[in-house]
Amino acid sequence: MSVPISTIVNGQSIDLAVDPRSTLVDLLREQLGLTGTHVGCRTASCGACTVVLDGNTVKSCCVLAAEADGRSVQTIEGHVDGERRARPGELDDVQEAFVQVQGMQCGFCTPGMVLSVRALLAANPDPTDQEAKAAIAGNLCRCTGYVNILRAIRRVADERAHAKESTDV
Amino acid sequence: MKHVGRSVPGRNNVISVAGAGTYVDDVRPAGRMIMAVLRSPHAHARIVRLDISAAAALPEVSLVLDGASLAADGIVVRPGGAFANFTVRQSDRVPLAVDVVRYVGEPVVAVVAVDLIAARAALELVDVEYAPLPVLADASAALTGQPLEQSWPDNVMVDYPFSKGDPDVVLAGSDRVRRGSLRCGRIAASPIEPRGIVASWDPYRETLTCWASTQSPHVLRTLLAATVGLSDSAVRVIQPQVGGAFGSKLPMFPEDVLATVASIRLGVPVAWTEQRNEYLTAAGHSRDVGCDYAVAFRPDGRITALTVDLVADLGAPTTVAGWAMCIVTAGCIPGAYQIDDVRVRMRGVVTNRGPWQAYRGFGKEVSCFVMERILDEVARATGVDRIEVRLRNFIPSSTFPYTQPCGWITDSGDYEGTLTEAAKLIDYADFERRRAEAREQGRTLGIGFAHELTPEGSSRPDSLMGGTDSATVRISPRGDVTVLTGVTSPGTGNETGIAQVVADALGCDLERVRVEQGDTASCPYGNGNYSSRSLTFGATSARLAADELRERIEAVAVSMLGTDAGRIRIEEGTVHGPHDATLTLDAVAAEIYRNPHGRHMTGLPPGLEATRSYRIPNVHHQPDVDGRYNQYPTWSFASAACVVEVDEETGVVRVEDFVLVHDSGEIVNPLLAEAQLHGAVLQGIGASLYEEISYDEDARPFAHTLREYTLPGARESLAPVIGHRSTPSPFTLDGRKGVGESGISAPAAAIASAIEDALREHDVRLSRAPFTPARVWAALNGGAA
Repeated sequence: MSVPISTIVNGQSIDLAVDPRSTLVDLLREQLGLTGTHVGCRTASCGACTVVLDGNTVKSCCVLAAEADGRSVQTIEGHVDGERRARPGELDDVQEAFVQVQGMQCGFCTPGMVLSVRALLAANPDPTDQEAKAAIAGNLCRCTGYVNILRAIRRVADERAHAKESTDV
Repeated sequence: MKHVGRSVPGRNNVISVAGAGTYVDDVRPAGRMIMAVLRSPHAHARIVRLDISAAAALPEVSLVLDGASLAADGIVVRPGGAFANFTVRQSDRVPLAVDVVRYVGEPVVAVVAVDLIAARAALELVDVEYAPLPVLADASAALTGQPLEQSWPDNVMVDYPFSKGDPDVVLAGSDRVRRGSLRCGRIAASPIEPRGIVASWDPYRETLTCWASTQSPHVLRTLLAATVGLSDSAVRVIQPQVGGAFGSKLPMFPEDVLATVASIRLGVPVAWTEQRNEYLTAAGHSRDVGCDYAVAFRPDGRITALTVDLVADLGAPTTVAGWAMCIVTAGCIPGAYQIDDVRVRMRGVVTNRGPWQAYRGFGKEVSCFVMERILDEVARATGVDRIEVRLRNFIPSSTFPYTQPCGWITDSGDYEGTLTEAAKLIDYADFERRRAEAREQGRTLGIGFAHELTPEGSSRPDSLMGGTDSATVRISPRGDVTVLTGVTSPGTGNETGIAQVVADALGCDLERVRVEQGDTASCPYGNGNYSSRSLTFGATSARLAADELRERIEAVAVSMLGTDAGRIRIEEGTVHGPHDATLTLDAVAAEIYRNPHGRHMTGLPPGLEATRSYRIPNVHHQPDVDGRYNQYPTWSFASAACVVEVDEETGVVRVEDFVLVHDSGEIVNPLLAEAQLHGAVLQGIGASLYEEISYDEDARPFAHTLREYTLPGARESLAPVIGHRSTPSPFTLDGRKGVGESGISAPAAAIASAIEDALREHDVRLSRAPFTPARVWAALNGGAA
């Protein structure tokens, strides 16, 4: 038993058949081998499976694979512009900041966290501490106490503001 | 330039942030099948009927295992040891229940199918009929109830008493005595990556390869091989990237054995990935300890006698080593305090709750909670300030090494140093003004303190958690350095710290040092990651090996430069001799490999590879005349101070400021050490306010998802102010003590202290963690907390 779907994943059009019981995270991990999206709970609690679906972050453990039909999915493997896969080692400024300030330890929550932080900063370039905390409240991290993740967010916001200032001048 | 002491970002950061890490569920050998486990819905029941035929008949299903078939094949897990010096009751366990289930979540049947959907569908077809049995729902029921294990006379698994002096005489003769009861709620480590294993049997070579989300590949190999009847050398365990562990992934779990047996029977790789509901019920819990205490003291707050009678609810009997946490809880009383007359007794009892498994703190957090609550009670009774009462009772810095009443030997410390700095950093002197200002805004603030003691490098006699580890340092003919270690990093960053230590020892560039961990086929035997030992044991072993090679490199370099020993120095990969003569380390390495019979190698051993095992001092396994021994070589410590706001209407507590001043001896990488402390503090806050594994009166758990077991999220977090102090261990080679567990213990006691301080007009007592709104509200309104 399977249903045919057409979807776009990291800029690439894909036609394939999915089990109607399977979830988007299973489609990504099991059928497409995109294992950067992780599974921590399967109840939309931990956020390790966060991906971007048609521009919105979703917890892919609680979206059916069939729901990706006719829609566009971006995972951590995707380039930040959404048009293609990122090359190995090709990081955006959010990822770069996570690396520099040690915004991770075990790394399991990190891909989902990065996607949530990108979404936050796209919508709100200068978030307050409370806004930043609210934006990643759906992504649990057990290692960092969120301290360095919030530092990474601040760093990117400051760097972008600084870059914008320089450009404006 | 010295690398130790520098804040170098973790070496796995880029791979993690790119989502390119390989975790166990990402390991996909060809032909892999999926295992799922049917678990008991009952806390205690007899299996009346078990029919697996319908499940086995499904075309997608290759194998169905039950307890009877495993028992018939002799698949039995023996206890992992660590029982020396204690009277501990043990029991063997078949990895699937035989005849009786003893906790909700106990594995009953394992199914192997083509994928997870098919495996779960098959579990639905397993027909089990249970006849419920009387339930031991908690520790008090266990103390009076029928033995859970038929071969035991009662439910006491471990009874650990010790004493010093005669506290009863002092208590009877004192007119200042306080008595009370304290309790720590049951919690679960909850790494975001669940447990998992991929077992792959090669029927032709008769070898087994396992990828496991484990902290201890070598130990898992030994335990697994023994259980399924293979030689250790036929088994290779590989630790892929691990998504957090915190003690909870110490081997060996029943599911490890099940996947292995399934792979051997089927001749294909078998993978099992834990689901969160399985984790919360069956992967193991910690804490769930209560105590009654009596303390006698002088008017100045000096404690003269203490008795603490503890009972730990260990849950159902298992073969994993989590039970030993209760030993550590007892042994760390009275901990940082010098009390002459002490009696402590710990009884660890088995019940029909989920079993225990190791978790960061490993019992020390309960001792901290008990002692710090008692110190606050003495402060309250005497009117002596809470900081002052601690200073008056601390073990004086001049008396180390200090023998604890249980016999363990505390290496060094300066407790006054961390506590006074914590009070300073939280601005205790100015707090009454802050309290008054908040009061004017209708906010209720309180300030609290706690001091934690974190003995590290646990070295249990008669166990595979002994006081040693190993490392190989290999320098190639081109001067590239590979370090192979027996310690592992489940995200803690010790690979980065080990590289820093080795780069310093060799005098080479940090980038030239590659650290390999977590593969029994390549790494020397080691016990893995636990008890904050990766830098004290792992990096020191690597340093010893590097030192050996450095000596050879220096001898060859001296000869090549035609100078004398003592006239060269090595820095950043270059040997500097007299008169500006230089030589690269790469050239020395090339000479050693290319001309082993050459004149520069006269009298020297060939090659550039050394393996060393560091056996840490200050461990005493031969008991003294009183039967006492020492399992803890290094004793880190920390002082916490916090300010909380309490909503008197609802009982909701919010931590406003948190200060942690830690002393873990020499710190190799401040960035990574602080990152550890950030995480530990929030885990400690979680166990203080948000997390509890609760059971009903029939020992059925309430928490099956992370919606019921509420881990702190970003909104519950705060950036703690971290203070560093260093009192190096006099015993370890570089004065390191270990930092991985520091910071998790103090929050519960510090927050309780602060809540009571906030509500001081109401004279409330918080004796039971976590301090949920309901408990705080009840305490405020005259109920039990």
